[in-house]
Amino acid sequence: MRLKRFLVVETRMRAKLFFAVPLVFSTVCKPPTPAEQMDSVISWLATAGMAGDAWLRHTTPDKYTRQTLELSHDTLLQISDDLLKSRPPGTDTASLDSVLTRSRGRIAQMARLVEAKNSPAFLSQLDSLRVDEKLVKQFSDSIKSKQ
Amino acid sequence: MKKILQITLGIITSVGGFLEIGSVTTAAQAGASFGYQLLWAILLGTICLIFLVEMSGRLAAVSKHTIVDATRERFGFPFYAIVMLGMVLVAFMVLVAELGGIGLSLQILSGLGFPWWAIPVSFVVWLLMWKGTFGLIENGASLLGLVTISFVVAAVKMHPDWGSAGHGLLPTMPGDQKAKYGFIAVSILGASISPYLMYFYSSGAIEDKWDESYIPMNRIIAGFGMTFGGLLSMAVLVAAALAFQPRGIDIDKFEQAALLMTSALPKWGFYFFAFSMLFACLGAALEVSLAIAYFFAQGFGWNWSEDLEPSKDARFSFAYTIIIFLAAIPLLFGVDPIKVTLMSMALTAATLPLAIVPFLFLMNDPIYLGEHRNGWVSNSVVAIIILISFVLSVISIPLQIIGG
Repeated sequence: MRLKRFLVVETRMRAKLFFAVPLVFSTVCKPPTPAEQMDSVISWLATAGMAGDAWLRHTTPDKYTRQTLELSHDTLLQISDDLLKSRPPGTDTASLDSVLTRSRGRIAQMARLVEAKNSPAFLSQLDSLRVDEKLVKQFSDSIKSKQ
Repeated sequence: MKKILQITLGIITSVGGFLEIGSVTTAAQAGASFGYQLLWAILLGTICLIFLVEMSGRLAAVSKHTIVDATRERFGFPFYAIVMLGMVLVAFMVLVAELGGIGLSLQILSGLGFPWWAIPVSFVVWLLMWKGTFGLIENGASLLGLVTISFVVAAVKMHPDWGSAGHGLLPTMPGDQKAKYGFIAVSILGASISPYLMYFYSSGAIEDKWDESYIPMNRIIAGFGMTFGGLLSMAVLVAAALAFQPRGIDIDKFEQAALLMTSALPKWGFYFFAFSMLFACLGAALEVSLAIAYFFAQGFGWNWSEDLEPSKDARFSFAYTIIIFLAAIPLLFGVDPIKVTLMSMALTAATLPLAIVPFLFLMNDPIYLGEHRNGWVSNSVVAIIILISFVLSVISIPLQIIGG
């Protein structure tokens, strides 16, 4: 009888632990704040820019440049999705979404231009990406000031 | 004359073999995120490593025991088994990371994804172990690793502000991102104070048949070799601070780190980085594989020597064969080597006390070291290292969750 009661209590405790442990972890593993996500966006936009610069100076191989641009594009897509879902405070989400979508498009286009070895068109996309990067920095400053 | 040559070779190989994926990744992350502010962590880690490596060599030269032999003999097999379990687990993760580092280097050079390289790379590492001698592993890969000196050239060519860099040698707290700062500091210390290096170094001293006459040489090699090696790590941090921080780039992926030297050395910077990482990780993979085989062979009392034919130390050779191919499996499934690296750095920090506390006892035991046992300076340094290790082990894993 005692054993049975013990087993019931033990099972209940296990069930509680089963839910409590992920709860504790979800509290500790807090998701990144919008400001941190904006830092990541800037980091990957700058990575694409730096990889682009290096390619134009013929200092990196085509395959590496293309892969790095694709990686930047995919990572930006993931971060942007999370960022926009969290609706950063005091930000025009539609404008931010538009800039981020445009930037990703430019990076995807740059990756294609590497394949085509079209440096003039690549340079034009890179210059436009720099303009977008500045806009994203303004969004980032605005989000940080409101946090 | 022979000793001078040995010292020179010893220093060169220590320098060439100092960097590996952990030290480069953590130093690049530190520079990119916090500028020169974390140089102190590399300095502290290097000082700790100098003392630990010197002690490892002294123990072997005087007592003719490796650390494993002495630990097992002094504390008994059950205690050693606990140490071995912790050390082998961490060393295995480091091996996965190093094999992954070779794969990533080949990926950026060839365009072929790193999982495709897992088996060929493991096979080459295994073949070098199977056919090679201790001298080949100790000197060959490390001599190739001298290409890592390009990090120093790049850092100098980027004209750092030496005054600000000097300030970075003193610990300061950042304005924000404290958890991330702490985690990177912990990772740098974990990457610098790698216990597998102590075990490898003491086994190497036995392989090279050191005796008491090697004590001064050991001191010079440990001092100069590790100091110059530490300078390489600092050069990576400085170059990353200048190349990435102004652009706001945080290093999350190997592909980002590959751009480290492209502005300082436009023509060859990319290739210097790729080959530096390739040879540094190759050297480290060979050393870690050997260290793991030493753990097993010396712990269980098997025949062991990298200079013996595999048929003469079959179980030792079997141990590294299995370990190398097991380490290829996670990479084959695309596990990110950088994530494994950061995890292994934190785990290294967590297991440091396990390696260092018994080592302190050994270094003070007159049966093993006679008049060459530790003085108060060495004991104090080891005590501080133990304290740091305990703090590291307590804070590293939560920091990884919060800041990593």
